[in-house]
Amino acid sequence: MTPARQRTNRRWRAVLAGAAALAVALTGCAGGAPAATTGDRPLVIARAMDLTTMDPQRGYCDTCQIIYTALYERLVTVDPADTSTVLPGLAESWEANADNTQFTFALDSGAVFSDGSPVEASDVKWSFERLVNLQGSASFLLAGMTGIETPDESTVVVSFEKPNSAFLAITAAPYLGIVNSEVAEENGASAAEDAASTDDAEGWFLENSAGSGPYTLAAYSSGESIELTANEEYWGEEPQFTEVEMKEVTDSSSQLQQLQQGDVDVAMQISPDALAQLEGDEAVTTEVVDSYNYTYIALLPAAPGGEPLEDVRVREAIRMAVDYDGLVDTLVAGYGKLQGSPIPNGFEGSKEVALPSYDLDGAKDLLAEAGYADGFTVSATYPKLVAYGVDLDLQMQAVQQDLAEIGVTLELNPVDFTQWISTVSGDGTPVTAVYFAPDHTDSSQYVQYFGNIDQGGLINPWTGSVSQEQTDLLAQALTESGDERMATYQELAESMAADAFVLPMVNPQLILAYASDISGVAYSPCCNLEIGQLGLGG
Amino acid sequence: MSAATGIADFGTTSLAALRTARSSAWMRPQMVFGYVVVAFWLVLVVAVQWLAPFDPLASVGERLAPPSAAHWFGTDALGRDVLSRALHGARYSLPIAFVSIVASVAVGSVLGAVAGYVGGIVDAVIMRIADVTMSFPAILLAMAVAAALGPGLNNAGIAIIIVWWPIYARLMRGQVLSIKEREHVESAVAIGASRRRILFRHIIPHASTPTLVNATMDLGQIVLLVASLSFLGLGALPPTPEWGAMITEGAKNFYQPWIAAAPGLAIVSIVLAINFIGDGLRDALDVKARR
Repeated sequence: MTPARQRTNRRWRAVLAGAAALAVALTGCAGGAPAATTGDRPLVIARAMDLTTMDPQRGYCDTCQIIYTALYERLVTVDPADTSTVLPGLAESWEANADNTQFTFALDSGAVFSDGSPVEASDVKWSFERLVNLQGSASFLLAGMTGIETPDESTVVVSFEKPNSAFLAITAAPYLGIVNSEVAEENGASAAEDAASTDDAEGWFLENSAGSGPYTLAAYSSGESIELTANEEYWGEEPQFTEVEMKEVTDSSSQLQQLQQGDVDVAMQISPDALAQLEGDEAVTTEVVDSYNYTYIALLPAAPGGEPLEDVRVREAIRMAVDYDGLVDTLVAGYGKLQGSPIPNGFEGSKEVALPSYDLDGAKDLLAEAGYADGFTVSATYPKLVAYGVDLDLQMQAVQQDLAEIGVTLELNPVDFTQWISTVSGDGTPVTAVYFAPDHTDSSQYVQYFGNIDQGGLINPWTGSVSQEQTDLLAQALTESGDERMATYQELAESMAADAFVLPMVNPQLILAYASDISGVAYSPCCNLEIGQLGLGG
Repeated sequence: MSAATGIADFGTTSLAALRTARSSAWMRPQMVFGYVVVAFWLVLVVAVQWLAPFDPLASVGERLAPPSAAHWFGTDALGRDVLSRALHGARYSLPIAFVSIVASVAVGSVLGAVAGYVGGIVDAVIMRIADVTMSFPAILLAMAVAAALGPGLNNAGIAIIIVWWPIYARLMRGQVLSIKEREHVESAVAIGASRRRILFRHIIPHASTPTLVNATMDLGQIVLLVASLSFLGLGALPPTPEWGAMITEGAKNFYQPWIAAAPGLAIVSIVLAINFIGDGLRDALDVKARR
């Protein structure tokens, strides 16, 4: 099937090349420009975009992470090789006080915005305050911030009411990009406390950008494309591509086709099953890299119909009844890993945690001990979507088959994402499934969202209990740093794993697929894809 | 010719009669094809658990395996046998379609007959409701109703009844209006029969032939509508091997075309067969009125 088509493609390419050569010869330009340089070749990226706004302090999505990173810069960034290492960004140095309540940043004096004006402390203050005051989806990242002081033009001091050792990692999140406050204010933006109602710059941000990143926004057309041009004033290393287009291509098959035809240079969401189609295609390079994303099922005893799940032995039995290796094979064609606790592989605290294992007899024994030798029936409402290559419908059908082996009947109820949100925040569902991707590189986010602590995450409202141990450990971790913090997060990971409210299913690997002459394509833990790093000559 | 005489032809056993029957409108080639295909699926509805090679809900082979001797239509993303799933699909699509059409006919016919016979304000109210319902494209209204009721095959069936009854209400009302003026009805009125008796004994039986033909032809469309709703995620819930839902799974696995092929062929065969039978039925019963 495919070899034949590839052959056809090649033949067509040859024909087209011939035609082009002929045209060049006929028009007498044969002696003109030789091979294309990066300068006149645009970079085209294919992606199913989940973008609703281009305002860096309003957005909150995977595509936002990529675009905001290209347009705006943060005070610090994270080392892709080791997520716990923080590297300089707009700030050349920084320092935290002893109990991690106050952070002082010294800005790089060479940093300039795309209009040539310097990046100053007041821009940092303005950007952070606007993020908080707009009360958007990403505002929670700065929860607990009590004030920002700017003693001089290149110093910023950020204070928190409680210890917050996660703050440096959070500072590297794309949502904390620094905006040129003068330009933004001229165009209706506000960082005042009433910004949520008075700021009307969202429309302006759809057509313009005001950052210090390697690119500036050239054009945005919702549902079609985003065009970027290189920032002429960029103070860092100049990007190789002067023009970048991110194109809306919704499904894996179309992305694959366009990549093979040479219409796009990078395809961001190739499914694992489609990977086989690219084997032997020399024009396309594929790489499989580890990611921090994962899918999970949550067991929520306090939701209606969840009574059997109250017993931790029942939840443990469910964990043991799932054939994880089969799942990785079924869902992502083997391109995935197992994960022991809600803190994903590669994050602080995950290393020593035992991976889940398949033990059918053990599961049956545990269920019998808990008084459910004959099993029970429980319903599962989950969103119908494909997250990072994992089709949740398929995941739940596989889990359903596995649980049938121990007599547990799972009734599946797939719904739209918006309906799922209203279910989990309303009536509740005893079993659900969804995915999680990190917002920043600190493990605290996983405890805040998945821990059995009273902080309004997904899990706690439905567990019917609160773990004082986990609450205290989280507070402790946020005062600590280094190895101590690592140990505390490991304790938290083990405690959450023992609770078995959240059972990670698959940690899918990421497939990078791009034209072989492109270099610098890599998965960034803070920012997904850093467009500024892409170049020619792979 | 009426339905009664047509069926009587089948009842005789003499060779001559059989020859007549075979050459008659009831045995034209495309109708015979229709009978065979429908009979094939009806047998499956009754006995699929003994006839399908594998359990439709169990993973029985390599996932996404192409067609082979063991799995004629390959396997799907969970390693389930696609052929067995497609055969089991008959158990969902056909009964739901049949029940939906019977209920639509029952509700539509009774309301239409009452509207036509009673007339006045009753007629106006019933027929305006029918008009409003019919002013929506069928699939859109069915989607809206199914989405409001929540996913599930039973809800899809209810949605289809809500969309489909006005067609029969209109058809029946027209028939009743013309039959009402016939002499046998007037004589019934003269001898003092009750209105209900006149309607159900003297009018509806004479008005049922076009409804029967229409219902047969619509059955195919309803099978398609059930599959469409499931394809859109508004019908069968996973892991039900419903044809429309199976085609959605096939669409997700673009490079494994066999997953969608089996349910696709199933839908094509049954809809084509029903349409052939419906066409033949229309000619055989000589029904000129098609809405």
